[in-house]
Amino acid sequence: MTTIDKLFIANRAEIALRIVRTAQRLGIATVVPWHRQDRFGPALAQADQAVEVFGEPPVAAWLDIPGMVRMALESGCDAIHPGYGFLSENAHFARAVAQAGLTFVGPPASVIELMGDKITARRFAVENGVPVTPSADEADDPSTFAQRAHALGFPLLIKGAAGGGGKGMQIVRHEEGLTQAITLARAESQRYFGDGRLFAERFVERPRHIEVQVLGDTHGHVIHLGERECSIQRRFQKLIEESPAPALPTGLRERICDAAVRLAAAAGYINAGTVECIVAPDGEYFFLEMNTRLQVEHPVTEMVTGLDLVELQLRVAQGEALPIRQEDVRFSGHAIECRILAEDADAGFVPDTGKVLLLRTPSGPGVRFDCGVTEGAPVTADFDSMLAKLVVHGADRALAISRMRGALAETVMLGVTINNDFLARVVNHPAFARGETDTGFLERHQAQLAPVNPSLAECQAILAAAASACPDMAATRIPEPHAAMGAWRN
Amino acid sequence: MSIFQFSDTPTVRHQVQALVGAIRVDGTDVRVHKTSPGCFMATVDACPEPLYAVAHGDVIHVHLKGRAWKIERVDPTRSTATAVAAGAGASHAPMPGVVVSLLVSSGQCVRQGDALLVIESMKMQMTISASINGEVAELPLLVGQTFQRGDVLVRVQAMSEAAPLQAAQAIPSEADNEVANPDTRTSARREGSMT
Repeated sequence: MTTIDKLFIANRAEIALRIVRTAQRLGIATVVPWHRQDRFGPALAQADQAVEVFGEPPVAAWLDIPGMVRMALESGCDAIHPGYGFLSENAHFARAVAQAGLTFVGPPASVIELMGDKITARRFAVENGVPVTPSADEADDPSTFAQRAHALGFPLLIKGAAGGGGKGMQIVRHEEGLTQAITLARAESQRYFGDGRLFAERFVERPRHIEVQVLGDTHGHVIHLGERECSIQRRFQKLIEESPAPALPTGLRERICDAAVRLAAAAGYINAGTVECIVAPDGEYFFLEMNTRLQVEHPVTEMVTGLDLVELQLRVAQGEALPIRQEDVRFSGHAIECRILAEDADAGFVPDTGKVLLLRTPSGPGVRFDCGVTEGAPVTADFDSMLAKLVVHGADRALAISRMRGALAETVMLGVTINNDFLARVVNHPAFARGETDTGFLERHQAQLAPVNPSLAECQAILAAAASACPDMAATRIPEPHAAMGAWRN
Repeated sequence: MSIFQFSDTPTVRHQVQALVGAIRVDGTDVRVHKTSPGCFMATVDACPEPLYAVAHGDVIHVHLKGRAWKIERVDPTRSTATAVAAGAGASHAPMPGVVVSLLVSSGQCVRQGDALLVIESMKMQMTISASINGEVAELPLLVGQTFQRGDVLVRVQAMSEAAPLQAAQAIPSEADNEVANPDTRTSARREGSMT
């Protein structure tokens, strides 16, 4: 057993704050890095200590393995939590942390290596009886890759072997597009991951993205905390996640969750991880990949199970046995998460930048707002466009949707374009209410998801509020006698 | 009296005048009162509604019913003609980002549709292509250099003409059909785009 007294959080924004909160509740002191370009981060005020990091572009500081380890050591920490993104799935980082005598809050480097690489993970899944989509791996024989990809049938997905986050992915619907897609995928994969190895697989039409939260400890226990559906995506990036998955038959849910536990157990999985699957309309499911870290969307699982995943991560990292067994896990109600992004969803999801001039966060029963910005914070292209996560919980899905609708309207972030109104249109869509969700949802309903023009009265109110917010407009107000000719008076 | 416009519909201008306790918008008096810093109440279609508004220079951001609007205050004494003339030959960045690669060099002759440079903002990559035949007259950025919205990315000077023309513009592929200028062509390459 090891004891974590002081935790270095190799991350930023909402997830850094979220980890700080749980660590402090457990009596663990926290240290967060900060950068000159990111000095408005919400974790800085809450953490016990902040250390300045340097880098250009700024994300380089969060990707600097020796730098992160050194700062953890210099600030007297005994453990590092990587959060998600950045170095969270980097086996070299996990190994460097361990070699420095620090505890890595995540799986061992060997497990990250096994499950973090799409190709080795798929092979491992097949060996353990978990179905995968028919595929072709370039590494098997580069000279026949195009031929073998072609033989899988169309539509096809070409992606980087080391990829993630939708980067380097190409859908090929006809054989004529295959050569170009291979070229594009290789270029992007090489540029983003420094690894141009490719991988082709059958593209399942109308798939639901279903993933299972798993947890393992150092005593050989592996459990699951149910599934999440993350089918509402744009550009292969998740936008809305929920738990439980709507319209998933009980038998199928059990089979998928059991397969996830079987896979994690076989891999000797320790700490929190996620097994991602796609589910075809006929109920067939295929293993997609495993994320060997905490997920962005972990709060929906926390809302339905009442558990604190970061607490469980820290306990497991200290060598404790999981405090719950599978049969103790209780699921209650329904939770939905919306990712609040700095982007103009109606202009093709174009990212926007600016400054958070005014921030009002939603609240109320069953509402959780994990916010990554503070008022006055610049929103730049230096970091990810996700500014906050809005998570709601209700006794059933209809209540959760209704709470989400209200909370999205209450989310005020002025000074940068955010997608809350677009998200509201998605959750208000009748097909969403019916649970008819798959990864093509946004594209299919694009026309109905377009914004409607405001009414004349709304336009007038907007302009009137705009005028009221101009400091010099008040100075030029027409005095009382003249104002009296208006339709009303004070 | 001030002139306001919604930034997405700049051709429609609104006359806005502050009275005591009300704002006159295009001749209609709208009763609006401040409840807390940045928060206002107004009656919209007979319902009291909270609005949030904050001014940032000549731009005012307003939130109503979960949707944000950008309002620009137009100063009638300041002409925008100069700015328009100065920018006529420039291709401006549609959003801030970083230069991923330069596919041409300054002085090089390019043909319509040629890829000129690749930019990236957050997780989106775009190829900027030439909309006309001409010579690369200006290529101010280096690979890895960042730029802000509105910065000049590239300028192509038409072969036959002395005056530089608007040469290239980056827009997302979904918006291709919304391009007002038929000379402007862009190819946007994104993760997972169907090619």
